[in-house]
Amino acid sequence: MGNREPYQNRIELLQGTLDMLILRTLRWGTQHGHGIGLAIRATSQDVLQVEHGSLYPALHRLRKEGWIESEWKMTENNQRARYYRLTARGKKRLAEEESRWDRMVEAIGRVMRPVEE
Amino acid sequence: MKLWHWFSHRSQEDRELEEELQFHLAEEARLRKDGGEAPEAARRSALLSFGNYVLAKEVTRGMWGWTSLERTAEDLRFAMRMLRKSPAFTVLALTALALGIGATTAMFSVVSSILLKPLPFPDPRRLVMIWERPPQSSHRNVVQTQNFLDWRRRNHSFEDVAAVFQIPFNLEGSGDPVQVPALRVSAGFFEILGRSPLLGRAIGPTDDVPDTPWVVVLSYGLWQRRFGGRRDVIGQKIAGPGNAFEVIGVMAPDFYIPSLARADLYLPLRIRPDEALRDGRNYKTVARLRPGVSQQAAQSDIAAIAAQTAEERPEMNAKWSATVVPLMEQTVGDTRTTLLVLFGAVAFVLLIACANVSNLLLIRAHARRPEMAVRIALGAGRWRLLHQLVIESLLLAFGGGLLGFLLAWFGVPALVHMLPEGFPLPRMAEIGVDRSVLAFTMALSLGCGIVFGAFPALQLGRGRVNDALQQGGRQGSASGRHIRSALVVAEVSLAMLLVIGAGLMLRSFALLNAVDPGFQPERLLTFRMVLVPSGWKTFDELLAQRAALIEQMLTRIRSLPEVASASSISFLPLSGSQSGTAYYRADRPAPPLGAMPGGDTSVVSDGYFRTMGIPLLAGREFEERDRGGAPQVAILNQTAARRNFPGANPVGKRMHVDWTGPPEVEIVGVAGDVRHNGLENAPDPCLFLPQAQRPAGWASLLVRTAGDQAGVVAAVQQQIHVVAPHQGIEEVQTMESVMSDSLARPRLDATILGVFGGVALLLASVGIYAVISYSVEQRTREMGIRMALGAAPGSILRQVLREGLTLCAVGVAIGLGAATLLTRYLATLLYAIRPIDALVYGGVSLVLAASALAGCYMPARHATRVDPAVVLREE
Repeated sequence: MGNREPYQNRIELLQGTLDMLILRTLRWGTQHGHGIGLAIRATSQDVLQVEHGSLYPALHRLRKEGWIESEWKMTENNQRARYYRLTARGKKRLAEEESRWDRMVEAIGRVMRPVEE
Repeated sequence: MKLWHWFSHRSQEDRELEEELQFHLAEEARLRKDGGEAPEAARRSALLSFGNYVLAKEVTRGMWGWTSLERTAEDLRFAMRMLRKSPAFTVLALTALALGIGATTAMFSVVSSILLKPLPFPDPRRLVMIWERPPQSSHRNVVQTQNFLDWRRRNHSFEDVAAVFQIPFNLEGSGDPVQVPALRVSAGFFEILGRSPLLGRAIGPTDDVPDTPWVVVLSYGLWQRRFGGRRDVIGQKIAGPGNAFEVIGVMAPDFYIPSLARADLYLPLRIRPDEALRDGRNYKTVARLRPGVSQQAAQSDIAAIAAQTAEERPEMNAKWSATVVPLMEQTVGDTRTTLLVLFGAVAFVLLIACANVSNLLLIRAHARRPEMAVRIALGAGRWRLLHQLVIESLLLAFGGGLLGFLLAWFGVPALVHMLPEGFPLPRMAEIGVDRSVLAFTMALSLGCGIVFGAFPALQLGRGRVNDALQQGGRQGSASGRHIRSALVVAEVSLAMLLVIGAGLMLRSFALLNAVDPGFQPERLLTFRMVLVPSGWKTFDELLAQRAALIEQMLTRIRSLPEVASASSISFLPLSGSQSGTAYYRADRPAPPLGAMPGGDTSVVSDGYFRTMGIPLLAGREFEERDRGGAPQVAILNQTAARRNFPGANPVGKRMHVDWTGPPEVEIVGVAGDVRHNGLENAPDPCLFLPQAQRPAGWASLLVRTAGDQAGVVAAVQQQIHVVAPHQGIEEVQTMESVMSDSLARPRLDATILGVFGGVALLLASVGIYAVISYSVEQRTREMGIRMALGAAPGSILRQVLREGLTLCAVGVAIGLGAATLLTRYLATLLYAIRPIDALVYGGVSLVLAASALAGCYMPARHATRVDPAVVLREE
């Protein structure tokens, strides 16, 4: 039985990309869900608006895949929060995603802006 | 993982997720408050930017990957609720499924018990029967004594070969003598089958020697009935014909040889080597192949030996050969086609049931579109809904499967129990519902659930949410109608096919039942026995005793006031037994060896033809004067007369007969043909010899009563007892029941197919009814408007009927096409008609049309009663 329910259409479209963004964000260190969302919005200068709720299915799926792991820690404000960390497999996955992304960007670029002869 | 751990782990994960999400909201709200929003607004906007909180949580839980079990439990609960909410639907669907699955399960248990399960012997694949094969024929003929001895001595392929002779045993002693079925077997019989007795020992080589004390092995049944199951029966003597028989063993309750007649006891065969050459063909054989020897190798081995014996004894064996047949093939060979046809038929019934349930589900799914649409709008994924639908289908399927299994569990033994003991179905006692059948039912239910669940699920994939929400589920759309119509057409064509099959079988059976047997069976009693002469020394004395016994019995019986006439015959017509020999015109040279002239041979007493009501076509029948010492006489049946004396009157002509006694006979009469070897078979040539001149050891007394049969049986038995106090009777039957028994199998086959056809017809009618009523209900508005615009009720009625009848017509056409292709598999089961029979095809088409009409009529009437005002107000 399939466990991956399409959450909503727009999330589905973003899904692969969202995974990559999460993994990339975690490369700089451990972070909790809210922090990851903030970082994505901040680094993209608020261009990428991720609906907060959609972050958690992605996080839990990545954890199930073994690309990230989690532990409960206290925040600076002394609150309990679940922090995520990239695993070795996650790092490898990120490298793959990045090179695929590069190839895709290059390919789409060639389609959109063909070199004038 | 233990279930408890799973649950506790699960609830902890739930708590942690809740905490994680709450932390997110708190953090976001804190951030927004810091940005200057009011605390209340910050909390609200945090929740807003989060999206659908409950859904996010649900989807996240889905990511954990182990919710499917929970979800299934939840769906199961929901499905139960849905089924309870619509009891009419549930009852209809479950009934259809229980019938379909039950019938299929029952049929499978029969097929499995008879065709699939190995025979109840160790290493049964090595068991074979060996038959003689007559010239230019594939007939499996019983075996001549010396030939059996030669096979046993010369072969290189078998561990052992045993001969078997079926003959009733005259059981005397306490109470009236009775004749019970028995098998005379040569030593090695039990070893070949690999079964040793429950008590005592089997028949060994020292028992199988002439002129030694007689021994007997009892069947479990006789041991229980006659000896109360006492263990000290071993060593006891039981009284039999002219001797005492020492009980040496008792067999287990399940011991029987499926291709041989049931036996109550087993006796040694005791072949006399000096008589083996003169014997006729009497024996069946069983043999066990040596390990590693193939059936083909054994076949060529035995064929080579048969070629030798043909050369050594051409007068007996010229052009004869021999055939090795696996015991399993011998047992089930004739039954396989019938069973497979019936199994195919029941599979069609099941398909119809599935189509029916599928249709009901579709209609319901259509009615549930608003519910589904709302659930989709609320965010339920299509997979989730599909999951739900599949669970509902499977729940129905397994519910139906369970009921069906119970139906088979109780029904099969009850049905088998209803069949008479000697019913001609091999391995009948082994038929039962076991674990393999249960596994089959489960797999079948799963398959059904998938088959009928698939269509509503496909529909789900198509429907658009908006349509459903806008229409509010009130009106029908064309999308579902096509599938429903296709299903009804499929149902009708399958039903058509089945009812044609049933129609063919029933018509064939009716024809068979109406066949003139050649005699008049009314008021005719038969007393079957093997004669038990006593105190004879020589063979001639034995013959004289046989003749005297019959003559004295008949004289006394004929003097009874209730008896119109009485006679006897060696083997009753339609009883499955007959003897035969070579006979040919005495004025012609003897035909070459192996030419097989002659045919059936019956030994009858005076007045046989009159008693049986068989017309005499020429000459006279046997009379008092045809005794020993008088001129040897014979009577031919019409077929034998035509074959031997074409265009001439045989009366007064002479023939040569290979039979005990003088070889030449004078033909004194010609009698009408009798279907001795089965109503379905054309009469064989037959030569009748008088019992007084050629006394046979087997006899059936025939008694034509003057009026009521009551009391006659006892009176006749008393006369027999007076003449021969030790003489037991094997069976007393009316000739009508002998005839009826000979049709037991075709009757059962036709009945089963008839029941399947009836169920198919019913299911198809219900299918048409459901679809048409739904279609009418969906178009209530259209009907109302048309009525408001002045359409006559008659035209509405016609329109609805036309819709139903169109579906039916398409189904009938397809069914007819399929029937012309498929009924050929029935050909071997049909008598006198061919698989393509205009009467049956036409009649069945009409029956289908009538039931379709019946299915449409009620909804059509309903449509004409639509009140336009009500409909228009609803708009």
